[in-house]
Amino acid sequence: MSEPSPVVLVVDDEVQIRRFLRAGLELDGFVVQDAETGADALKWVTLKQPDLIILDLGLPDMDGGDVLERLRAWSTVPTIVLSVRSNEAEKVRLIQGGADDYVVKPFGMAELLARAHAAMRRQVRASSGEPMVKAGPLHIDLAARIVTLNGARVMMTPKEYKLLQILAAHAGNVVTHQYLLKEVWGSPHMHDTHYLRIFVRKLRQKIEEDPTQPRILLTELGIGYRLAIPEPSKPTMQ
Amino acid sequence: MALQRETEQRIRHELRGILLALLMVAVTTVIAFALTRYLDVRRGSVIYLLPVMLAGWHLGLIPALVAAAAGLLWSGYFFYSPFYAYFLSRPAEILNLVLFMIVGLVTSHLANSAKQHAELARKRENEMSDLYAFSRRLAAAPSAAEIYLAIEEYVANLLQRNVVLYEASNSDDHANQSAVPEEMRVVIGEIQSGSLPATTIEDNKGNTWFMRRVSQRTPDFGVIAIDLGRAPKNMVAGTRQRLDEALSDAAATLERLDVARSLTEAKMRSETELLREALIGSVSHELRTPLASILGAATVLTQSPVIDKDERLKSLASVVHDEAERLNNDIQNLLDATRISRGQVKPRMEWIEPQDIVNSALERRRRRLSSHSIAVAMDSNLPLIYVDPVLVEQAFVQVVDNAAKYSPAGSTINVAAKRNGHDVIFAVEDGGAGLTGEELSHLGERFFRGSRHSTIASGSGLGLWIAKAFVAANGGRIHAASQGADQGTTVSLFLPLAKDAPQPEPDSDE
Repeated sequence: MSEPSPVVLVVDDEVQIRRFLRAGLELDGFVVQDAETGADALKWVTLKQPDLIILDLGLPDMDGGDVLERLRAWSTVPTIVLSVRSNEAEKVRLIQGGADDYVVKPFGMAELLARAHAAMRRQVRASSGEPMVKAGPLHIDLAARIVTLNGARVMMTPKEYKLLQILAAHAGNVVTHQYLLKEVWGSPHMHDTHYLRIFVRKLRQKIEEDPTQPRILLTELGIGYRLAIPEPSKPTMQ
Repeated sequence: MALQRETEQRIRHELRGILLALLMVAVTTVIAFALTRYLDVRRGSVIYLLPVMLAGWHLGLIPALVAAAAGLLWSGYFFYSPFYAYFLSRPAEILNLVLFMIVGLVTSHLANSAKQHAELARKRENEMSDLYAFSRRLAAAPSAAEIYLAIEEYVANLLQRNVVLYEASNSDDHANQSAVPEEMRVVIGEIQSGSLPATTIEDNKGNTWFMRRVSQRTPDFGVIAIDLGRAPKNMVAGTRQRLDEALSDAAATLERLDVARSLTEAKMRSETELLREALIGSVSHELRTPLASILGAATVLTQSPVIDKDERLKSLASVVHDEAERLNNDIQNLLDATRISRGQVKPRMEWIEPQDIVNSALERRRRRLSSHSIAVAMDSNLPLIYVDPVLVEQAFVQVVDNAAKYSPAGSTINVAAKRNGHDVIFAVEDGGAGLTGEELSHLGERFFRGSRHSTIASGSGLGLWIAKAFVAANGGRIHAASQGADQGTTVSLFLPLAKDAPQPEPDSDE
């Protein structure tokens, strides 16, 4: 526990939202920095690299999507966007624009923290080269390309593995249909969602205890898929 | 030219009638021949009244007269001495035949006029039922546009012509009016203001349209354009006069039915409705922002170590959380209802695994369902369905919410997904308050809540109405069934299977 506390930048113009986010994030062990406007946020990020950004989309000075675009031009800092409901197309656009994940207002703290930790772990995995992704009983070794379920090897076709590999690389965070289709089948099939549905069904039959009620490979309706990873018990919650 | 064509048509029609009449006489003659030759019947001339009556009823007066003349000839041949000859020997028989002729003529005339009376009566009846349907439609019309559409169809039906109605309106925002060319709009404006009583114009296909106000007394009923087809100039005057008469009948009817008042009321109703919905929309939006803070703060409180240690504080924190969530759902329902009545529900269809929708809805409501035991039974090999998964999920959440709301804590809620014929069915069965036959018949009406249900749980009565609208937007339907009060309820969502269920991609790597 000698690591320094991670720093999170909260960008939201609603003071009450910032207040509860600060409380919740501090309880979870973050050091919290606030920004009310997009311009403030961008200025702050250039001065100090935070470990996480929580970005509200309705900012007074600029669109959250624009902030994300400017940010992604030079930074890969994990970013979770706060979105409103009934706009799946916008969520997909934001994730394709570089957001690691989203939560829909109103949201609970646990949900936000789960998304945030997943995004931060991915960042760590990418820099440290850690090949192992554990989603409950399912272990995926990205280096050796070996998948085991409760210790037993799971055989997969190349496309099934490719699908699982992408989800594992983003473990805990949502991956859009379009991204999966483009990576596994290629750009011409970006909108053939049914390919994906059929392959996910096959994958679930191999890795889920009850494929009709999956616990590992979860569907985000209208958006994509998420490989669920159980939250490790948090020592910071005392 | 058109006149000539019309005359030709009538002559052809009469000729056909005469031919048919002669055919009937011929058939009768064959029978008469058989009667006289093999059965030795000698007083059978009355048989020739049969084709006369039939012709009079079905074919008109002239064919009936022809049938009478032919019948006269043949009955002379068969039934009057000398038999099998056209000339008559005795004066009494000549008289007899003349009598036959008179009876034939009277019969054919009576048959023809009886037919005309029957037709007239039927036409009157149709007109009356049209008028009745029209007045009922006026009374129920939700908007002025609907009334104008009703007038348009009513007049079109009455005149048996293509008509276009231009609404009496000062604004140009109606879709059908903005499609009208500029010069045309000027003409319509002049007619509506009364400075130009009526006019004829020719469209780009060479058809002549006659235009005038529906009612010369009031501009309220709009300006009507009637398709006269490719009529020559000298024809137009005659047609115009007939149309003027028919239209003034229609206008009198419109006045009698007080269409003007219906119009004003419909306009007011739709404005009030718009205002109310705008208000609901903006208020709901304003309420959601603080709710997001309350809900978020409540989740932080429930997780904070201090409160986690104290059961009393913990339960208070979850009261804040649960009630804020309930309020948030109510607001969401209001927003959804507004979206539905504004026609803003636009499904984004995609292929989806049916179980994914059920699982997502149950996950979303996990907290609320925690006091019930949920038994899920889903077929493992359901076909993919082509729907907007988000809308269907929201509909399903409403149904699950109702099941949890109206069944006692601790009871079991059965959730099933199965295939049945051409549908995938999501069913939710609870052991709760159930529905009586009376309640079932009102179910799904906006704001309907059974009095028994109001005492069990609070609610707006919007849930199932929203669910029905969302499922209908996906081409499906909702069905509710119950054995009666306190016998539990089963609500099923029927989602149609697409005809071309997708095949796995061709270059599957297995």
